[in-house]
Amino acid sequence: MIKRTLKLAWFKRNRYALTIVAIALSVAFIVSTLLLTTSISDVGAPLQEAYTNVDAVVTGPEVTEADGPQQALAAQVPVQVLNQLTAAGFDAEGFANPYAQVINSDGAAGGQDQAASNVARPWLGESPLNGFEIVEGRPPVGEGQAAIDVTTASSAGLAVGDAMSFVSDTGLQEVELVGLASFGGADNEPYMSIILLDSQHPVLAPGQGYDYVLVAGATEADVAPLTPGLETRSGADWITSQVDQLNNFLGFFSTFLTVFAVIAVVVGMVIVTNTFTVSLAQRTEELALLRLVGTTRRQLLEQVVIEAFLLGAAGTLIGIVFGLLGVNALGGFLDLLGLTIERSNAISVNAILIGMLVGIGVTVFAAVRPAWKASEVAPIEALRSVDVEAPGASTRRTIAAAAAMVIAAGCLIWGVSQADITFTGVGIGAAFLGLYLLADVLIRGTAIAVRPLLSRAGPTGTVASRNLQRNASRTSAASSALMIGICLISFFTLMAATIGQLIAGDSGQAFKADLVVQGIGNQPEPALNDETLEALAAVDGVDRVVPLYQTSAVPADGVEIERAGPGGGALGVAFTDVEGLELAYDFVVNAGSLDDVTGNSVVVDQLTADAAGLAVGDGFPLTSQAGQVDVVVGAIIETSLPGTPQPAIIGDVELAESFGYTLPATAAYLVGDAEQGDVSTAIDLPTIEVVTADDYIDGLSSNLDTILALVYALLAVAVIVALVGIANTVSLAISERVGEIAATRAAGASSRQILWSLLAEFGLLALVGIVSGLALAWVSAATFFTTLSDGQIGTPETDLVTGGLIITGGLAAAVAASWFPARSASRTDILDVLRAD
Amino acid sequence: MSGVDLPVGSNGEAGLDGDNVARLVAATKTFGEGDAAVTALNNATIGFRRRQFTAVMGPSGSGKSTLMYCQSGLDRLTSGHAYIGDVDVSTLNDQQLSVLRRSKLGFIFQSFHLVPALSARENITLPVDLNPDAEVDEDFLAELAGVLGIENRLQNLPSQLSGGQRQRVAVARAMIPRPDVIFADEPTGALDSKTSGELLAYLRQAVDDLGQTIVMVTHDAVAASHCDRVVYVQDGHLVDEAMNPTVDDVLDKIRELS
Repeated sequence: MIKRTLKLAWFKRNRYALTIVAIALSVAFIVSTLLLTTSISDVGAPLQEAYTNVDAVVTGPEVTEADGPQQALAAQVPVQVLNQLTAAGFDAEGFANPYAQVINSDGAAGGQDQAASNVARPWLGESPLNGFEIVEGRPPVGEGQAAIDVTTASSAGLAVGDAMSFVSDTGLQEVELVGLASFGGADNEPYMSIILLDSQHPVLAPGQGYDYVLVAGATEADVAPLTPGLETRSGADWITSQVDQLNNFLGFFSTFLTVFAVIAVVVGMVIVTNTFTVSLAQRTEELALLRLVGTTRRQLLEQVVIEAFLLGAAGTLIGIVFGLLGVNALGGFLDLLGLTIERSNAISVNAILIGMLVGIGVTVFAAVRPAWKASEVAPIEALRSVDVEAPGASTRRTIAAAAAMVIAAGCLIWGVSQADITFTGVGIGAAFLGLYLLADVLIRGTAIAVRPLLSRAGPTGTVASRNLQRNASRTSAASSALMIGICLISFFTLMAATIGQLIAGDSGQAFKADLVVQGIGNQPEPALNDETLEALAAVDGVDRVVPLYQTSAVPADGVEIERAGPGGGALGVAFTDVEGLELAYDFVVNAGSLDDVTGNSVVVDQLTADAAGLAVGDGFPLTSQAGQVDVVVGAIIETSLPGTPQPAIIGDVELAESFGYTLPATAAYLVGDAEQGDVSTAIDLPTIEVVTADDYIDGLSSNLDTILALVYALLAVAVIVALVGIANTVSLAISERVGEIAATRAAGASSRQILWSLLAEFGLLALVGIVSGLALAWVSAATFFTTLSDGQIGTPETDLVTGGLIITGGLAAAVAASWFPARSASRTDILDVLRAD
Repeated sequence: MSGVDLPVGSNGEAGLDGDNVARLVAATKTFGEGDAAVTALNNATIGFRRRQFTAVMGPSGSGKSTLMYCQSGLDRLTSGHAYIGDVDVSTLNDQQLSVLRRSKLGFIFQSFHLVPALSARENITLPVDLNPDAEVDEDFLAELAGVLGIENRLQNLPSQLSGGQRQRVAVARAMIPRPDVIFADEPTGALDSKTSGELLAYLRQAVDDLGQTIVMVTHDAVAASHCDRVVYVQDGHLVDEAMNPTVDDVLDKIRELS
């Protein structure tokens, strides 16, 4: 049995080559993803190791919870609490984690490029709370010395003994690099760049308080009586929460990658189903012959399943090899996007096993239904010449599609009107299923609709549209595979455009200031201290410097402000020179006056006012890092300033203190006609950048752009698998039509006419998938956003140019994929066919 | 010329004088290379006269099909020339050959080779429809369909036709552009004797009434007996020919050759 199956499968190896490619691609993707995610899962180990001696931890109460990659915002531990703990004889250390970013040996800003990841820490020497160990050189002593972690030193191009600069809240610091440190046995603390300083170094001065206080040799029960109103936890708890937070971010990332790998597998499965459906239909005669000579249905089924197993195994083996190579490519690609994932080189056997299971399992699973149908073949079919299959769509399938569409419509209407995301989700799923089932009807419809147009090009056009119609039930899966890919790409494009619009507002035109100064990095640091602001004010042409201090707060208990937009429940808060802001930015004031915004009076945007039912004069409480703050609405503006998150509340600088905000400004708008170059020269810090207002707006969505680039790249795999499917469908369909192509050639059709006919047929097949995908994406995005924002965001930002590009690009890719099989078919040697007679 | 290969007397008939629609001159076709080389046509020269129904006969492997394929431009000669009218088909590129096939040649195959997606009518008009400069002569189409007895099946797909009907559609498709010559490769091979007889009668009628030229490769003596002329091929060249052959003449000759 196996020998015969092997022989038959080998005979058809060309027919299966592209299917193996599709399986291999899917498996390679899932194996790379699994290898990558398992290699990053133990990234928290150094934290465990470094903090083994921590027995209790004191932190301020959390104001906002961590939300995916967004860090929690917590109140600080007052300085006197540490003093009390030390006075009571506890071994305790406070960590303020002040901003400190190393300057590379080439003068550029170094370290990490995320907010709050470049910090200074005290060198704790022999203290059991010291998580660092000097591995080269010596510990820092006095103001003129520093040590840094090994990773930062190597990426900055610095060695022990070098003169080193770093930027802190108080400006540029010049020190000597005296030592390199490891953290918990690793080269660095995960995702952090740390500068270790003498514990008396002024940069480490705690200001308002500490992020956390670590205690050794005492339990949380011992410590708690001295820390009323603060959170006191065991060391183990705190470490777990730190590791969890890290894993949360990475878990978010792993899930993200896994979702796309699964998409690629689903598309691959659709392709395998398609291959088996087409190839078994073409082999009706062969299968019937086997039945005629006494093969049982069960044997026939077994034969096909073994064939699928072999096919799956071949694709999986290739896929695993490429997956092992691909993990570095994937990691490298993430690095390129600035999403550096710290990972080990360990190879997970589980990842490979799962890859094998998925690759082979999915192939066999996908083959079972077509195999079952094929085994129903009557032996008499071997004696009949079967030219044409029934032209109609399956009634059962059409009814199921209609039912799915009705369910989809119902769920979507209910979900949107009741703001119930579960219903909307089910509705989107049902719509997808409906379109999938409806694909052959849509293809037949398209074939009939375009026939008059195609017929004008002669009989080859007619043949193209007839064949499209005739083979719809076999080839629709290829179109559906493309539909999945295009739908996801379009959905994310719509989502990114809509979120981008939320971040940037309509402010492209609203800036009156030409230049914006901010800390560099993906999420700008609060890097503009008073000294820098003064330096800016002194630049020729700068009339006014309008600083922006950005933080976030949450509505106090009992206050409901469900404002749409990214931020996970927290509201963006900005403090600024409101009078100056009017010179820098053109607001549309809907109610009240900006002149009244002083003291605890604030500006809110219309979205916030609507969400909370606020009018000018209304007061409402917010919970900030420093506790509850009562503010009053002084003015309502149409759209707020751009930002991430876009500030829902804008107050005067003097209000910052009551929110507990003591850090430097995050950005400054420059009013006047100063030259960009002059401003850069005046600041002369690599950690601060001067950009035009337009570039500033673009930069705000750069995180989003990075994520989008990643999403596109991951979806590209699914789309490539879908295109392989199209190419596969073309070559399978053509292998069945050599006789007819030869006859048409003998009747005088040129190879160009044949090529045109085939490309028209398969281009239309792809077009149905592309347009379905776009339509589904639009409906999904519209209902999804409306439901999530409770109607605040209606239709997604629709860009006809992008839509056009997706259609043209998808079509071009599909035609390109069809090109080689179609071209070789168009050159069919008429004689080869006649000699076979 | 290649007279040395031909029996005396046959050269005059087979030669190139007179009104030849298609002719092969010193035609050689070799397959493979070196020791594995097989010469299917060996310096053969032959002409096919206008308004004549010619049968090409010979044992299996004699080169009769190769002769037809090379003459019609479906295959290329290793050396020598193949003319349709005054055009040497060996000098034509793919595009020019396509144009030649749709306007000057017709083909009928043993396995019909109809386009399954097209109706009988669309299959018949295919060569004309492929030619942007030509239009279907509806009267001629109706006449052909009437003579062939398929006037009521024109809207049917090939899958809805019997074997005999399919072959009649193929005959109509070959005749519709009024080609200079029709090449038929074992056209009755897949048909029963009654249907075969009818088909050969149609082909005979096409020559007599419409002035069509037909070259038919066959191994069937009965089929050959419908022809004006039969040429015998062996080992890649012409060995004999006869005018107005009877079934017995043909059978005797075939026996002699094999």
